Amino acid sequence: MIELENVSKAFGGYAALSNISLKVERGDMAFVTGPSGAGKTTLFKLLYLAEKPDEGTITIAGCNVADVKSSYIPLLRRNIGVVFQDFKLLNNKTVYDNIALTLRIRGFMEREIKERVHSVLKMVNLRHKVDNYPLTLSGGEQQRITIARSIVGEPTVMLADEPTGNLDEENEKEIMRIFKQINAKGTTILIATHNRALFRNTARKVFTLEGGMLRGEEE
Amino acid sequence: MFSLRLALQSIFKDKWMNFLSMLSIGVMLFILVSVAIIVYNVERLTARLPERLTVMVMLKEGVAGEEIKAAQAVIKAEPAVKAVTFVSKERAMEDLKRSFKKDDFILKGFGENPLFDSFDVKIKSEGVHIDEVKRLIQKIKSMKGVDDVEYGEALMDSLYALKSGMRALGLSIGIVFVCSVTFICYTTVKILFYRHKDEIEVYKLLGATRWFVRAPFFIEGSIIGILGGMIGSGMLMGLYQYFIRRLIADIPMFAFMSIPLQFMYMLPVAGMLLGLGGSVLALGRLKY
Repeated sequence: MIELENVSKAFGGYAALSNISLKVERGDMAFVTGPSGAGKTTLFKLLYLAEKPDEGTITIAGCNVADVKSSYIPLLRRNIGVVFQDFKLLNNKTVYDNIALTLRIRGFMEREIKERVHSVLKMVNLRHKVDNYPLTLSGGEQQRITIARSIVGEPTVMLADEPTGNLDEENEKEIMRIFKQINAKGTTILIATHNRALFRNTARKVFTLEGGMLRGEEE
Repeated sequence: MFSLRLALQSIFKDKWMNFLSMLSIGVMLFILVSVAIIVYNVERLTARLPERLTVMVMLKEGVAGEEIKAAQAVIKAEPAVKAVTFVSKERAMEDLKRSFKKDDFILKGFGENPLFDSFDVKIKSEGVHIDEVKRLIQKIKSMKGVDDVEYGEALMDSLYALKSGMRALGLSIGIVFVCSVTFICYTTVKILFYRHKDEIEVYKLLGATRWFVRAPFFIEGSIIGILGGMIGSGMLMGLYQYFIRRLIADIPMFAFMSIPLQFMYMLPVAGMLLGLGGSVLALGRLKY
């Protein structure tokens, strides 16, 4: 489902990623770990096509995204749900509108948008916050809204960059419960975290990055 | 619909900035259309000028009747000529006496009729260019038996110089103001685009196409242009109601002036097109 072969990326002479090869099977929930600056965020940027690799191939759901034409990028991104470390919620829009945006971009009818938004809000236990604005929510709640926004379009792949960073233990558990639930429905999930406790009893595969290089792969 | 909603939200959110842009566009379009109206009226004034021209062809003394008929036929055959009337010197004297009415004793001092035979040449009302009239006059002047040709040369030349001057001025002002309106829309949309940059980034990450991202800005630019055009139309309406109508009523010299109503409908359309053009230029190529 997600496959990287000899992928390298440098920024102004600094190698952010060097010769990375990894594979995540369909329906898996895998983790990428490593200290800050290890290259986790760069790896994710390559996966959701915010950056292009200098070398190597990246295959997501059978498509080599490294060579894709820019006009196809939006269509590929619709197949990838992304949970950002900084949430990237629109603070001038309600929770409903933030989640609905994913579907409006795809041209869904308003009735179906309403059904789907309420369904994902139920999944993340935030139905009662539907009319709230992001800044009135706690960090954990905002992260759950971000997760809801990323899954409302039913992507085949989900990427989560430090989804529990800055959250307390209670919220961490809640978010991991949601990820397991999404994964159980067949969505392939790749989570980047420096928190090893997060995947101790969850992961089937853990990739360890250090200084832009893949140092280990644990099953 | 979603794009329209976003565009309207954005217009209301930055209402003062957008209002100032609309006002600037309105004033510029108003000035532009005012110049167009002046050019239009000068064109109208000069278009029927050849028709109003009376060309008087004075014949030499002692030209025979056959020669006069031949000359009349030649002039009549010219495409620019509507009618040619022969006026004998006796008839000319009678007309002159009639015009003096009771004061015709002035003419009794002349022993012999000092006037001459002539042709009154009427020029066609439409499709005759001034150069064609000038060519015709030169041709008549060179004809055998013709002494001189008189027409309102100085007035005609001044009016035509004014006409071509106004055209050039209108075109220059038109180009400058069209560019200015486009630039205002360009900067307005560019500012709005930078203001929404983070939001646009999220749209792109969620899979929005270029069209989806751009459409609200195109709509916004067009709406600003339309509303600017409507402000311009309102100003034009005010100019007509409170100035030109009174001017026409009070000073008969300006009775020829008119404002085509199409200009009022055209301004919002022109504003929309310029607004859209400015938005297209402002957004350029959207990168992913």
